[in-house]
Amino acid sequence: MAEGGAPIACDVLVLGGGMAGATAALAARDAGARVALVCRAPGSTALSGGAVSVAHDPSALPDAALSSRAGVVESARRIAASQLGHPYHVLRDRLDRLFTALEFATGQLSSILAPPSGRNRWLLTPFGKVHPAAACQHSMVAGDLAEVRGVLAVVALRGHLWWDAGLVASGAVRAQALGGPSPRVVPLDLFLWDEAALARPFDLARLLEAPGAAEEAGKMLAKRLPRGAGAALFPPVLGLSAGARVAERIGAAAGIPVAEFLSDLPSVPGLRLQRSIEERLQAAGVLVLRGEVHGAARPGCPVRAGGREVRAHAWVLATGRFVGGGIARRGELLEPALGLPVLASEGPFAEAGAHLATRPPAALTLRDSRSPQPLLSAGLKVDEELRPVDAEGRAVHDRLFAAGAVIGGHDQASDGTGMGVALFTGWLAGRSAAASARTRQLALPGGE
Amino acid sequence: MGEPKRYDVVVLGGGANGTGTARDCAMRGLSVLLLEKRDFACGASGASSGMIHGGIRYMLSDRKVTELACRDAGYIRRIAPHLVFRIPFLLPFASRAEEATLAERAAWYATEVYVGTYDLYQPLKGGKPSTRLSAAELYALEPSLRPGLGGAVTLDEWGIDGARLCLLNALSAEAHGAEVRTWTEATELVREEGRAVGVRWRDALTGEHGEARAGAILNATGAWSPRWGHANQVEVPMRPGKGVHLALDRRLSNYGIICKAVDGRQMFVMPHEEESIIGTTDDDFYGDPDDLEATSDEVAYLLEGAESLVPSVRRARLTRAFSGVRTTLYQYGRTEDALSREHQLLDHSVDGAAGLFSFVGGKLASYRAQSQEIADRLVDYLDVSPRPCRTHEEPLPGGERIEDPSELARRHGVPEAVARRIVYRHGSRARELLRLCDEDPRLKLSVCREEGVLAAEVVYLARHEKVRRLEDLRRRCRLAVAGCGGLDCARLAAQLVAHELAWDAEQLRAELHGLLELNWRERRPVLDGWQLAEEELLRAVHRGLGEV
Repeated sequence: MAEGGAPIACDVLVLGGGMAGATAALAARDAGARVALVCRAPGSTALSGGAVSVAHDPSALPDAALSSRAGVVESARRIAASQLGHPYHVLRDRLDRLFTALEFATGQLSSILAPPSGRNRWLLTPFGKVHPAAACQHSMVAGDLAEVRGVLAVVALRGHLWWDAGLVASGAVRAQALGGPSPRVVPLDLFLWDEAALARPFDLARLLEAPGAAEEAGKMLAKRLPRGAGAALFPPVLGLSAGARVAERIGAAAGIPVAEFLSDLPSVPGLRLQRSIEERLQAAGVLVLRGEVHGAARPGCPVRAGGREVRAHAWVLATGRFVGGGIARRGELLEPALGLPVLASEGPFAEAGAHLATRPPAALTLRDSRSPQPLLSAGLKVDEELRPVDAEGRAVHDRLFAAGAVIGGHDQASDGTGMGVALFTGWLAGRSAAASARTRQLALPGGE
Repeated sequence: MGEPKRYDVVVLGGGANGTGTARDCAMRGLSVLLLEKRDFACGASGASSGMIHGGIRYMLSDRKVTELACRDAGYIRRIAPHLVFRIPFLLPFASRAEEATLAERAAWYATEVYVGTYDLYQPLKGGKPSTRLSAAELYALEPSLRPGLGGAVTLDEWGIDGARLCLLNALSAEAHGAEVRTWTEATELVREEGRAVGVRWRDALTGEHGEARAGAILNATGAWSPRWGHANQVEVPMRPGKGVHLALDRRLSNYGIICKAVDGRQMFVMPHEEESIIGTTDDDFYGDPDDLEATSDEVAYLLEGAESLVPSVRRARLTRAFSGVRTTLYQYGRTEDALSREHQLLDHSVDGAAGLFSFVGGKLASYRAQSQEIADRLVDYLDVSPRPCRTHEEPLPGGERIEDPSELARRHGVPEAVARRIVYRHGSRARELLRLCDEDPRLKLSVCREEGVLAAEVVYLARHEKVRRLEDLRRRCRLAVAGCGGLDCARLAAQLVAHELAWDAEQLRAELHGLLELNWRERRPVLDGWQLAEEELLRAVHRGLGEV
């Protein structure tokens, strides 16, 4: 993308290229809008575990069978009812569309994401926990504890210490009572050479993409499979790109469904997801600009985005929280792109409003790290149309929408709704932006 | 519980004075038990500025003290050469006003003379003499200083990892026959007929408990002394003072810089290991030493002072604020800074507990001399004639030889930068540590790239350095201490320790939680800028995926 170039005129400008921004751009595109998207660098989506966590039931009993747990939408409703600051609460009257949004996003990203069923899949994490996800990558489907029958072979890479298969399997041991499979650790002689220890997860993923490598791993697995094995679970290094189909290739060679568990950091599946998102944006005809945004005033005005001048009728702000840089604290809390007020948070300062921004960090955090932390849930406050509002509760601009983690009020990093909020608000904001741009054009032929 | 075990000396407290005295007594041939209710250096020793200074500030009151301090700094360099590093300081000639006043100019001259006098003692500790720098020379050395300074005087001091210093003393004590127990609290003093004859102890991790009998008992529990004393009907008067330091994610300056806080107190910004630290506050503290946290006010005070000479500190990334409680001698009616850093050994025979002694005051830099003095008194009291003190001669574990990091890096196939950090922490024991990589090449896996920690080191620590909890690694190899807060290393290290200590998955996650909770306490007062993004990631991984 060259510096300079002709000014770009379009209907919708999306700021941010993670799950929220991409869903917004694709939804606006789907509604017929001309869309430009500007992104600076990979953010939370690329650093995620690689699955799409939307909601899990806050009122579920710990010993309830996995297959009998509340569905995704019902779980989101329960979160909306119990957490008043949560974006699901703000959007509580529109949650009936949540599944449509999920189907849209996974449909657009069908090269990497498997279609959702409406119930959560139960996926293991490197910490030996079971994590509910409304949708996940094709390479993870076979690891759904509610679906695996018989024995789950948890693969240990004998040459690398990054993951502990025993720890991962411990999660399945506990889930056994809830209807999960019985796990068995299966050590495989993979990455057994002297310098393998120096390899990081990305290096291992690259190695498994090499011609023949997955097939060889599959053959090795076939020899070591325990009796009654229904699926095999690998560490999350099954290829850098979804197109390499590493999980599928290992599975074909081993004669058993193969999956990877979720990733912490560094995250191969997260980066893989980001890569697929960017490929899809290009294919869908979204103009992707790379770089910073300068001189942003309000929709309709020209703005410098990635070195180009862009004029768009409607904007979607999907710049993320602290990792994405959509919200920052530099002595005080601020929204750097447009200078919007940071008003939303959860916990004891949920109603602090304008005072939130200037309180010192110690005053906005609680001693017990597990408590809701107002500082980490800080972000924009939005109305039901997802328009950021000011301290008086008025929308800042008619055609400015927010999506994803830049909206505050929930601890998106850890409450298991981050991706769900991203794609739901992205989908709604993208459609609203496209619609408002259309009305704007009808009212003012020839644009502004 | 069984029969009480008998020792010559029971030492309470695993800080510098406790471990130092345990080592000294054990080396003299006494039988010793050391009890620490948490881990080594969990109090003031670990939260100090990490310096073996020569006591320049005592020159005014008593030059003898400075001479002793410098001599002892030299001894510490001799016994732990790998762990001690040079920190050159600058004392810039600064005025907060536009034009320096006459009084300020006079003070600068006095500083020059003062530091010049300190030069007389520098050879005792292997320090370099001071130099007067012109303004041009000063800015050439340290361009980040604010404009308008009139020059500076240099001052040479030594830095050290206070936590490892305590650990090495404890390991040495053990090697000389002492019994050393961490996470074991002395729950009760046992008294008989006006004498303190022993303590009852309880292991917090296993629940095991017992009684130890001793000829003499040393209470070296620092800030915890008054509370422990109160519970056992002895009085330990002191003026506890809280000191806060801020840590940055990297070195902000090449040299330590002495600056003045808004109230005129002296403070510093200095490079220390891989980071810079800003310190320190000094305020009377009557709170709970188990419940220390820096306040917003202390953070702002330190930043303001540092900013007066290093303006870029406002843009720097603060990673944490750590706090400790100094134990100064009880004095009424003096300000905190005017309190003596002298020390005292209280004899509790007046409380009807003959045989119990409490150590109050002192400083990390003179821990060895203090320990020797304590050991002399205990030997006197016990009326035995053991071997003489040798703690100034015999190296601490790893201090026997200086290893060549490049040679070790080549031999074991690890990056040289990593070998350098391992040699810094382990001295000659780096050789034994790196041999683990030959036995199992997987142990070359990097656990922390910032501190240069390999999987092999974590395993070595778990086997040889009395690691009982995951957080113990914070004090042995600075695990999860730097900017990342454990993002890359915590799970991996927990897996390795779990394997060595046979923890199950539940215990592993509980240990992870403990480690992260400690970090959170130090981080939340300074969460700002990119450190906040780091915290968001940490939370996503550990709360989100790990539910720890």
